[in-house]
Amino acid sequence: MSLALVVDLILNAIAQSALLFLVAVGLSLVFGVLRVMNFAHGVFYMLGAYLGFTVVARSGSFWLSLVLAPVATGLLGGLLERTTLRYIYRRPPIYQLLLTFGLALVLEELVRVFWGPSALPVDPPAGLEGAVTILGAVYPRYRLFLVVLGMVTGVALWLFLQRTRAGLVIRAAAQNDEMAACLGTDVARVRTGVFAAACALAAVGGVAAAPMTTAYLGMGIGVIVDAFVVVVIGGLGSIVGSMAGSLIVGTAQTWGGFYFSEAAMAIMYLVMGLVLIFRPWGLFGEEE
Amino acid sequence: MAPLRRWGPVATLVVLAVLPWGLARHQLSLLTDLLIFSLFALSLDLIMGYTGMVSFGHAAYFGLGAYGSALLLIHFEVPIPIALLGGALVAGLVAWPVGYISTRATGIYFAMLTLAFAQLLYTLAYKWRALTGGSDGIAGVPKTALWWGGPSLVEPRAFYFLILVSFLVAFVLCRALVRSPFGRALQAIRENERKFATLGQDPRRLKVIVFVIAAALAGLAGALSAPFRGFASPEAMFWLLSGQALMMVIIGGIGTLVGPAIGAMVFVLVQEVLSSYTEHWMLFTGAIFVLMVIFLPGGIVGAARRRFAA
Repeated sequence: MSLALVVDLILNAIAQSALLFLVAVGLSLVFGVLRVMNFAHGVFYMLGAYLGFTVVARSGSFWLSLVLAPVATGLLGGLLERTTLRYIYRRPPIYQLLLTFGLALVLEELVRVFWGPSALPVDPPAGLEGAVTILGAVYPRYRLFLVVLGMVTGVALWLFLQRTRAGLVIRAAAQNDEMAACLGTDVARVRTGVFAAACALAAVGGVAAAPMTTAYLGMGIGVIVDAFVVVVIGGLGSIVGSMAGSLIVGTAQTWGGFYFSEAAMAIMYLVMGLVLIFRPWGLFGEEE
Repeated sequence: MAPLRRWGPVATLVVLAVLPWGLARHQLSLLTDLLIFSLFALSLDLIMGYTGMVSFGHAAYFGLGAYGSALLLIHFEVPIPIALLGGALVAGLVAWPVGYISTRATGIYFAMLTLAFAQLLYTLAYKWRALTGGSDGIAGVPKTALWWGGPSLVEPRAFYFLILVSFLVAFVLCRALVRSPFGRALQAIRENERKFATLGQDPRRLKVIVFVIAAALAGLAGALSAPFRGFASPEAMFWLLSGQALMMVIIGGIGTLVGPAIGAMVFVLVQEVLSSYTEHWMLFTGAIFVLMVIFLPGGIVGAARRRFAA
């Protein structure tokens, strides 16, 4: 195995992990604060990709789509949280999962109505086409951009939650929402905000993924199952866990895909099985 | 409520037994489909409603049953009951290790684990072309006889009665199961697993057992579907079907025996009606489902009970 190939595989694994992270971290955050496992989360990723396609087609600017599509998706997410989820927080958690499943069906079908059934290609932005040579490996520029995007988002999110007042309020609501409410936090607003932000993050992932994968129906469910595996491995509610989980799953997918091709998925589940046997609440999660 | 309780089942049985003579071919096939889904939803409610284990991967066992019976029927032309047993057995056997691992987790984690394993099995069915025919599936599954040299089940009405009897047997079995000490223990686990454990019982062993039973029943439903439709395909293992089964249980009434059947009926009929008007019927089913989750948490049966009790 040549050095170039090793470099290629490592970079691929990190780029894949970066995309996974953008989806998984929102899923994890929403669970941490709202205690809701959002089955529709993958559909917001898909919606981001489709909205991104439309913005690029109309304006010609990828960078504009990277801003507009997540904002629109976030607004829609916040609206849906306010009009549906808000009324069933007191129920057993499974009702919230089922509600978001219903929302996923509706949104997926709406995307089909508006954009049609065929996959839509998106060009990478000017300056990120083509490839560069790193340690002998010829590597697409765009994937390097994904690596940077994932890292910057991860660090920014961590700083926001750990170092700002708003982050403090969110962490308080995640830890004990009744106590936070007693101390004057508008928990309902925190929930809406976190849900909207998570949807927007997923949409960032979708916009960023589209030049690589195109925008297609079913991309949401593919990514949500992977993201579930990521958060199960990393532990729900933990950003560091989402990062670690994304790296593990991204690596398992790319290296597994290289060595075993067909068995790539099996390896991902094998890792998950091992983690669950030794730490059922995930690597960085807290035992409930 | 009391007369409904006494005469309801009898009337339902009579209607189900007489209906095949009053229905067009297409309607009979719809009714048969409906019974298969009722059985499938019933098996899910056994773990979901009575034990509190929400599986988001129940379709995997439906699909395993379908493949099991399809392979037996095509390669060995065994009588249908053998194929049914085979399908249920395959589903139960695969469910055992999956249940063993998944029950390490509870609640949402359990749901996600079952989903992940189901997607794994789905991918396997998709990729293992030599055995499953890949995305094409297995076509031309024959409706063989009731036993070697016995009466043929090719006639739609005959097959309908086979499925009706299978459903009734499964229903009676589930009814006996949830009323048995084993069933009471399951409901105790649902109410408070930790308390159950402190009473010196091992909840996980029981959970694995009921998971395997539910999977075998789902396998039976799948095993019936393969010869009925004439094919088995990976779609039968897809997460969408798992989600639809959850919808049926919730729509009908979670934690009841008739609920899943009513839910399956409503689901299939709504889909049938909507799909004749629009190809985007999923949009409306999804929206109806969202509204039901918000406004009718006990499903149709729960709402009816409240109404009659008041």
